[in-house]
Amino acid sequence: MRYISFILGQLARNSRHGWASQVMTLFTVSLSVLIFSFFFLIYTNMQKASSRLGNELRLIVYLEQEVPAAFRQEFKKKITDFDRVEKIAFISKEEAFARLTRQLGQESDVLEDLDPSFLPYSVEIFPSNNLKSLARIKDFSDYLGSLPGAVKVQYGQEWIERFGYFISLLRIIVLLSGALLILTSVFMVSYTIRLTLESRQEELEILRFLGATDRYIRGPVMVEGFLLGLFGAFSGLLSLFFLFQWIKNHFSGPVFMNLFELSFLPLANIGTIFLISLLLCSSGSLISIRKYLKV
Amino acid sequence: MTSDTAPPIDTALIDIVKVTKTYPPDIMALDEVSLAVGHGEMIFLTGVSGAGKTTLLKLLCFLESPTMGLIEMDKKDISKLSGHALQKMRQHIGVAYQDFRLLSKQTVYQNIALAMEVRYENPKKIKQRVLELLANLGLADKIHTPTSKLSRGEQQRVSIARACANKPPLILADEPTGNLDPAATSLVMDLFNRLHEEGTTIIIATHDQAIWQKSSHRIVNLENGKLQEIIKVNFDL
Repeated sequence: MRYISFILGQLARNSRHGWASQVMTLFTVSLSVLIFSFFFLIYTNMQKASSRLGNELRLIVYLEQEVPAAFRQEFKKKITDFDRVEKIAFISKEEAFARLTRQLGQESDVLEDLDPSFLPYSVEIFPSNNLKSLARIKDFSDYLGSLPGAVKVQYGQEWIERFGYFISLLRIIVLLSGALLILTSVFMVSYTIRLTLESRQEELEILRFLGATDRYIRGPVMVEGFLLGLFGAFSGLLSLFFLFQWIKNHFSGPVFMNLFELSFLPLANIGTIFLISLLLCSSGSLISIRKYLKV
Repeated sequence: MTSDTAPPIDTALIDIVKVTKTYPPDIMALDEVSLAVGHGEMIFLTGVSGAGKTTLLKLLCFLESPTMGLIEMDKKDISKLSGHALQKMRQHIGVAYQDFRLLSKQTVYQNIALAMEVRYENPKKIKQRVLELLANLGLADKIHTPTSKLSRGEQQRVSIARACANKPPLILADEPTGNLDPAATSLVMDLFNRLHEEGTTIIIATHDQAIWQKSSHRIVNLENGKLQEIIKVNFDL
C-alpha cells in the first residue's frame, strides 16, 4: 500500500516536470491506436460482409435447353466432380419468369406483353467455398462454362474480384498501421521516459546514494509507460467508438450501408488492442530504463 | 584518564586493512591505511585539507573503491557488495556530504524525508522524525523552503538531518560544521552526541579543532594519506 502511494506521488511529481511531453506522447499513442483500430474495424466488417456474401454466392449457368430429368443426376455429378457444392437447382423458364416478376414487384406490368418463356433455362449452383477462394471460384466458373449445353456462367465476377482486392488492400493497410502503432508507441514512450529520466538525473543520483532499491527507482518509470499505454489505448478506442457512431448515423442508408451491417469491434479485439498498447508502451519504458537508468 | 581506545578486532563495525587509494596519474590519496571502528564508537578523522579524510569517507560509503586493501563492514568485504545488498547497506549508512548533495528545487522537508521514503517508512513516522530533526537543528521555520533558498550553513544542517533521519547504525559526516557558526555547531554536535548515546557509530571528518578538542572520543589523524597517530584525549579537558 505504501509502495503504491509512493508510486502515485512520484508519478504526480514526474507529471509536474514533464507534462508537455507526456501529453504529446499520450496524443500520439491515442492517434496510433485510433488509426490502427479504425482500419482494423473496417477490415473486420469487410471480412464479415465477405463471409455473408460468400454464403449467398451462387453461380448461374445458362443453358441452351433444359436438362432432361433423366440426365440431371449425371449433370450434377459432373458439377460435383470439380468441387463440393451446397446445392444445385434446375430452373425452368417458367420459374425464371416467375422470379423476375417477383423481383420487379409493382413494376412487373412491363412483362405483361412478353412471352413467359423468353428467359433461358438455367442451373443455380451454391458452392460451399466462400470468397477467400476467389481463384477457385473462377476456375469453377470456367469449368461450368465448358459443360455441354452451357451458354454463359454468371456470378458477379467483376464485383467479387474488386471486393476481394479491396479486402487484400485493407489487410495491407491494417498491417502498415499496426507497424505505425508499434513504432510510435515504443519510440515515443521511450523518448518521453528518457526525458523524464534526464530531468531527474540529479535526484536519481541522490536516491542511489541513499540506498534506493531498483524497485523504488524503476517502479514509477515502468508504471508511467504502462499508464501511457492504458490511457492511450482507452482514448484511442473511445475516439474510434465516437467515429463509428458518427459513420453509422451519417452513412447508413438503403443502398450503401445495408450491404454491410456495421458492427463495432468485439470485446476480445478491444482487449487485445489494450493489451498490445500496454505491452508496447511498457516495452518503450523498459528500453529507456535499460539504456538510461543504471541503478 | 583517556578516551575510547581502538576496539578489539572482533567487535569492529568497520575494519580497514592496508587500504591504498590512488587517483590518476599517480596521486596517492590514502597510503596503506588501517583502522578499526567499533560498534557504537564515535571517532574524529582529522587532518588538513587534502590529507585524505574525504577519500576515506567516500570509500566507506561506496562512492569509490580502494585501489588496494580491504574494507569490511560488519565482517563483509564491501568491494563484493552489489545490487540489492549494496542498496540495503547504503540504507544503513547516513552520509552528510561536504557538498551537501541536496535537491535544490525540493523543500527542506522533502529532502530529509527522501532518506526515509526509500525505506518505505510510514508517512506519519517520516513527518514526526523530520519535524524533530528540524527542531533539533534550529530549522523548524524553514520546513517548506526550497533548499536553493537556504544559506550554506542551513543547507549543511539539512544534509546532516537527512543523514540522521533513519537513525542509521553508521553516520559519516564530512566537515559537518564547516559552514556553521558556534551556535549551530553546538546543535549539530548535540544531535551527534545523542545519536552516539543511542548506539550509533559516527565518523566525523573535520579540521575544526573546536569540535574535537573537548571531546572524549578517539581522534584519528591523517596526513598526506597516511594514518599518523591515534590521539587519546582526557575526558576532563
